[in-house]
Amino acid sequence: MKTSKLAKVASVGLAVSMLSSLAACSGGAGESSETTTIPSQIETSADAEGELGYTYGLNTTFHADQPVTYTMFFSDASWYPMVDTWKTEGIFKEIEARTNVTLDIKSYDSGDYMDNITLDINAGNAAYIIPKIYDDSAFVDCGAIVPISDYVQYMPNYTEFYNTYNLSGDIQTITRANGKYYKLPGMKESNLINYSFVIRKDIWDAAGVDVIALQKDWTWADLLDALIKVKAYMVEQGMCSEDDYIWSDLWCGNESGQGSGGNLLGVMAATYDCNAGWNIGNGMRFDFNQNKFIFSPTTDNYKEFLKTANSFVAAGILDPETFTQDDATATAQYYNGKTAIMSINQGQWANYEQNMTAQLGAGNYENYVITMPIGSTRNSTVDPARLENGVMISQKALDELGEDGFIEMLRFVDWLFYSHEAYDLTKWGIEGVHYTVDSEGNKKLMDGFCCSGLGYGNDEAESMTDIRLKWGYAGGNFWYGGTVAEMSDNLIPPVADYVNRDYTDRDTPPLAPGVAPTADQNEEINLIATPLISNVNAWTLKFVTGQEDIDAQWDTYVQSCNDLNVQGLVDIYGDLYKG
Amino acid sequence: MSIIDNSTGKIHVHNPKNQIKESKGYKIFTVVNTIIMILVSFATLYPFLYLVSQSFSSDQAIFAGHTGLIPEGFNIDTYIYVVTRNPIAPWPDLFPNFRIPEFIVYYMNTIFYTIVGTVLSLFFSSILAYPLSKPNLKVNKVLSPFIIFTMYFGGGLIANYVLVLRLGLKNSMWGFILPMLISTYYVILMRSFFMTIPKDLEEAGEIDGLNKWGVFWYIARPLSTPIIATMTLFYAVMYWNNWFNAKLYLQDKVKWPVAYFLQTIIRGAGSSDPDAQNMTANIKSCAMVLTVLPIICVYPFIQKYYVQGMMLGGVKE
Repeated sequence: MKTSKLAKVASVGLAVSMLSSLAACSGGAGESSETTTIPSQIETSADAEGELGYTYGLNTTFHADQPVTYTMFFSDASWYPMVDTWKTEGIFKEIEARTNVTLDIKSYDSGDYMDNITLDINAGNAAYIIPKIYDDSAFVDCGAIVPISDYVQYMPNYTEFYNTYNLSGDIQTITRANGKYYKLPGMKESNLINYSFVIRKDIWDAAGVDVIALQKDWTWADLLDALIKVKAYMVEQGMCSEDDYIWSDLWCGNESGQGSGGNLLGVMAATYDCNAGWNIGNGMRFDFNQNKFIFSPTTDNYKEFLKTANSFVAAGILDPETFTQDDATATAQYYNGKTAIMSINQGQWANYEQNMTAQLGAGNYENYVITMPIGSTRNSTVDPARLENGVMISQKALDELGEDGFIEMLRFVDWLFYSHEAYDLTKWGIEGVHYTVDSEGNKKLMDGFCCSGLGYGNDEAESMTDIRLKWGYAGGNFWYGGTVAEMSDNLIPPVADYVNRDYTDRDTPPLAPGVAPTADQNEEINLIATPLISNVNAWTLKFVTGQEDIDAQWDTYVQSCNDLNVQGLVDIYGDLYKG
Repeated sequence: MSIIDNSTGKIHVHNPKNQIKESKGYKIFTVVNTIIMILVSFATLYPFLYLVSQSFSSDQAIFAGHTGLIPEGFNIDTYIYVVTRNPIAPWPDLFPNFRIPEFIVYYMNTIFYTIVGTVLSLFFSSILAYPLSKPNLKVNKVLSPFIIFTMYFGGGLIANYVLVLRLGLKNSMWGFILPMLISTYYVILMRSFFMTIPKDLEEAGEIDGLNKWGVFWYIARPLSTPIIATMTLFYAVMYWNNWFNAKLYLQDKVKWPVAYFLQTIIRGAGSSDPDAQNMTANIKSCAMVLTVLPIICVYPFIQKYYVQGMMLGGVKE
């Protein structure tokens, strides 16, 4: 009897605690229904009268009269790890010298960065400044992050860029259901292409394929024809056998391709106006003809894209192992001349050249980056949204600094992430010490310095000092966006050439309207999308590698997606975007 | 001829005339079995031998795909690079100018964690397991379910994190050791072993004037060498390989164990950043070889405990 009473009391206690925790879970900031629109122009706020205790403004270096310290999370990449010299003589020292602000860095390894800062934020241990945030949805409802849209009027550099380049449409894409946004995104004047393909131009020329004449309007089928000719030549010359593949790609395997075909399928699908590979997301894409969101992986465009991707495998050009192998396998084959085409991004040119010179000898090869072939559209493969990862500000900063101190810190953040001066500092180092600017505004690293991150490789004796490894300049925590001139100021001629070709010869895809799901809708989207996208990726790889016939199995594939509730996803987006 | 088995005291009588002749089928089975075992062993060993070979090969040979079981372009440049790169100050507050290469610092940390952690784990696990092995101790009826409960349910990541944070252990070397100080599973193994110690011996000790602690320390502990040796190995391997606690609780790099460092560089090499592509394949293999080397050196001598360990205390007579 005694025990049963105890059990009853315990049950009631448990039920109460469960109910109260349920109540605590509901009703976050994202659930609010009050909606504001994102203004097309932001007006900066005038300061209250009196001494501010710091200087700031457009084209003015932020400087605090008294030394201040702000905590900041930092994503530390193991391939250029933060070392003491960054603080004692490098980037943080220089920031302090110019602004009188000491950054108290809480660094985490980049691979664990999101896990660790999520733990810290949820445990009430957040830093004031939280950079390198791609997806802020996990933090929006916890109340630990400031809705920064309430404060951007205090940030002159941010508002100047926003107003000049009309970024309200872009900002709408990160705005939440309550009409606020929580992340200060990296903003770009325009997007530039990053990923394309490098080819062995010397082999292509010898095979009689004039890529320069072909590429302006070429399609994927034209690329395939060209590669078939190149392979025939390579077989004839004994460079490979008929059974060998001459395209083994990187960033597609299990390691970096995330089991989805990574970069290759991502860029190829983008030319067919659909999502795949790295860019698959939850599969939803805006259809401008129908004026609604559709599930892209079951469209006719997607089927056409699959046939194109499969045609390269079927013709014996693209190695099907591309989708499972390590990146090193792909690079090894390209470096030693077994393959004639491979993916590249803006930062890799110097690296490829350095390795190929070691492997084949200088002058024994010629690399060239091709213009992306055309799919069902002439769209460039760049993402139309001109936003990059961004910075969140913790509520803790507002609580501990008070509103005035908080605004002072925001103005420092504004200088550090949005001023042209800080952009040059964080990317290039100190003018006259690490780099020079000529009369036409071109920047160049000074003798004795290199930086792989900017595309400036070291010499063979490795005698140069890398400004990123030694002092932390050109790191990924700063300089997210900028003007076209700023973003391309480090591009070496062959890279600048393909970036310019893409800019002039291809169309920029239109920007999809922003949707702002609530936390519940986000959770529902994730619940549907996780198994659905796994299914899409698995089928996609089977179709591309020829394990399944696209025409014969297409209906089965579409049905398998429908069984995983595609309609549920479409309905949620239908609720979010009414046209 | 007779042989006395020291462990059981039984006498085995060996008469050559009684030897059973091996059948043809048995001989074939032995040969096939041996071949299969050699193949399985090779398949298991091959990746590691490949890694060792790669770590001594030149970059060019690796890029050319020429690495096999024999290194091509033999060199130890990458080993030198790995163990000398990026000097850091292990005690920045005491000796800011004293710097040693980061790999050495991480290695020393791992050795520290392994030795200190193992000693403390053994001590606390055995003083917990010993009383639990006493069926007449009434408190065990309450205590045992609580201990076993933790094998199946935990507070969760955030709760543990907040606990470590509030205890002030975040970013402290104790933050690495204390959260895994006692493994419930190992405690249960030890308890089962302690149960096999004859009660009479302990009572004899008490009659001779030993208190409970004395009985544990002077009688139970010396009789428990097999389980202590096994647990030493289990705990030592656990501390040597652990990186997760470092990921959660050690923000300050100078406190990292080598396993976490290894994890970060292997993962980093998958990035598309040019500097990540420069972290060549043999940097990964060198770091891996250096990390597993001590375990490989020690393992042949203690592997019998590893096998026996799982059986210890499993059977009560």
